[in-house]
Amino acid sequence: MNDSPNILEYFKLLPILVKVVWVLSMVLFVFILALICYLKILRIRLNKNEIKQKKKQKIDEENLINYLYAGDGVNEISKEQQVFINTMKKEISDSFNRNILISVMSKLVNDISGEMAVAIHTLYFKTGLINYSLEKLKAKKWEVIASGISELTQFEVKQASQEIQKLIKHSNREVRNQAQLYLVNLFQFKGLRFLDNLDYQLSEWNQIQLLEILQKFDNQEITDISPWLKSTNISVVEFALKLAKVYSHFEAKDTLLELLKHPNEEIRVQTIHVLSYFMDSDCKVYLKSNFENSSECEQIAFFNLLEIVADNTDESFVKENISHTNFQVKYSALKILKTINLVNYNDVVFPENDTQGKQIVKFINTI
Amino acid sequence: MSSKKKIVLAEDNSTLSLLLKFRLEKEGYELFIAEDGKKALELIENEQPELVLTDIMMPYVSGLEVISHVRNKLNMNTPIIVFSAAGQEEMVLKAFNLGASDFMGKPFSPNELVMRVKRMLS
Repeated sequence: MNDSPNILEYFKLLPILVKVVWVLSMVLFVFILALICYLKILRIRLNKNEIKQKKKQKIDEENLINYLYAGDGVNEISKEQQVFINTMKKEISDSFNRNILISVMSKLVNDISGEMAVAIHTLYFKTGLINYSLEKLKAKKWEVIASGISELTQFEVKQASQEIQKLIKHSNREVRNQAQLYLVNLFQFKGLRFLDNLDYQLSEWNQIQLLEILQKFDNQEITDISPWLKSTNISVVEFALKLAKVYSHFEAKDTLLELLKHPNEEIRVQTIHVLSYFMDSDCKVYLKSNFENSSECEQIAFFNLLEIVADNTDESFVKENISHTNFQVKYSALKILKTINLVNYNDVVFPENDTQGKQIVKFINTI
Repeated sequence: MSSKKKIVLAEDNSTLSLLLKFRLEKEGYELFIAEDGKKALELIENEQPELVLTDIMMPYVSGLEVISHVRNKLNMNTPIIVFSAAGQEEMVLKAFNLGASDFMGKPFSPNELVMRVKRMLS
């Protein structure tokens, strides 16, 4: 029996709307089927690629280690090493091979130092991998440019500095970030000159990364940070404040005192923190005179500073604030009073309803 | 039975592991490689090595947990050398508190590591 004509006749008799639904369902079914097939093929391809990558990576790892131990200790490059370099030169013309070799070399160059690190750098130059990295800087895709800068940073290619300086104002954030890391990694404080005319905000993460890199280097020449403290870019001022603190840059004290009048509250608060780190007492006069006009955060920061630098001359000011509405200010004031004049501290009497004050005193007495 | 001294190396950077394995085996040691802390613990229990080299940051079980396990659970006095990256000073202090014997900051020279291993196993 053949049911097809019946089904067709039945379909023809259906209302137009039902027909449309049926057709759409079939199209959707075919589309989903094709999509499943495509995903299956894609997965197989990716798996194959991953296996191929792992195999190649293992071969490259072994080859690289053989290369590193093939040095004869006399020449910069031994005969055996030269053979490896020549083979690699041919291999890296293929981007798959090149990317794997670069990743293997990068993994190792980050973790070892001494002769072997030098040998890896030499390999990078002699095989011509450097040219591929430099070429990436001219790419249109931002991720390619960023990876090019990252490679040049890892293999410390200083000759690319002019090209990379131009990328510090690139429209893509990751490219800008990599360019900053390159400059600071290779030129340390001198590399920070891009801060002089930075017209975008440095994120907190950016700032931490830059500081972390700077701290890897000992005995570096610290440049004058005062121009950055005076920058119109808030994030540059914030970063300069961090530098002032980390590198105990006392020379910038006068500029820091000026920053207490900065229009941005966060900058003023951070400046007080840095000054308290410097145990500076010159700022007390201004901060006391401006106390009433200060924000609560500044008042707390100032009292934190006083906890470090307060002396007898601050007693009356401190006493004025032992009944401050802010808990932290009140607590600091009582703590400071106890330190600078124990007799007067013991004489402090709080009104009956000020249970908070009494509890603070009770707590401070236990310290 | 092999008379070679056994070393367990726990390091998630496969290239570095291979480099150190090659170098230390050349010096006459028997190397057992673990790419994470979990495998390192298995190797330590099974092989009873004379020395453990471990990175601090590793997947599944960290280097600190490896040290703690060796010292407190297995009650072994095996010397442990810790590898740490820059900025992990606090971790290194924790490692010493847990019973690490020595540490090397990355990047380090493989030659220097060999010297320390020799000194520790002599």
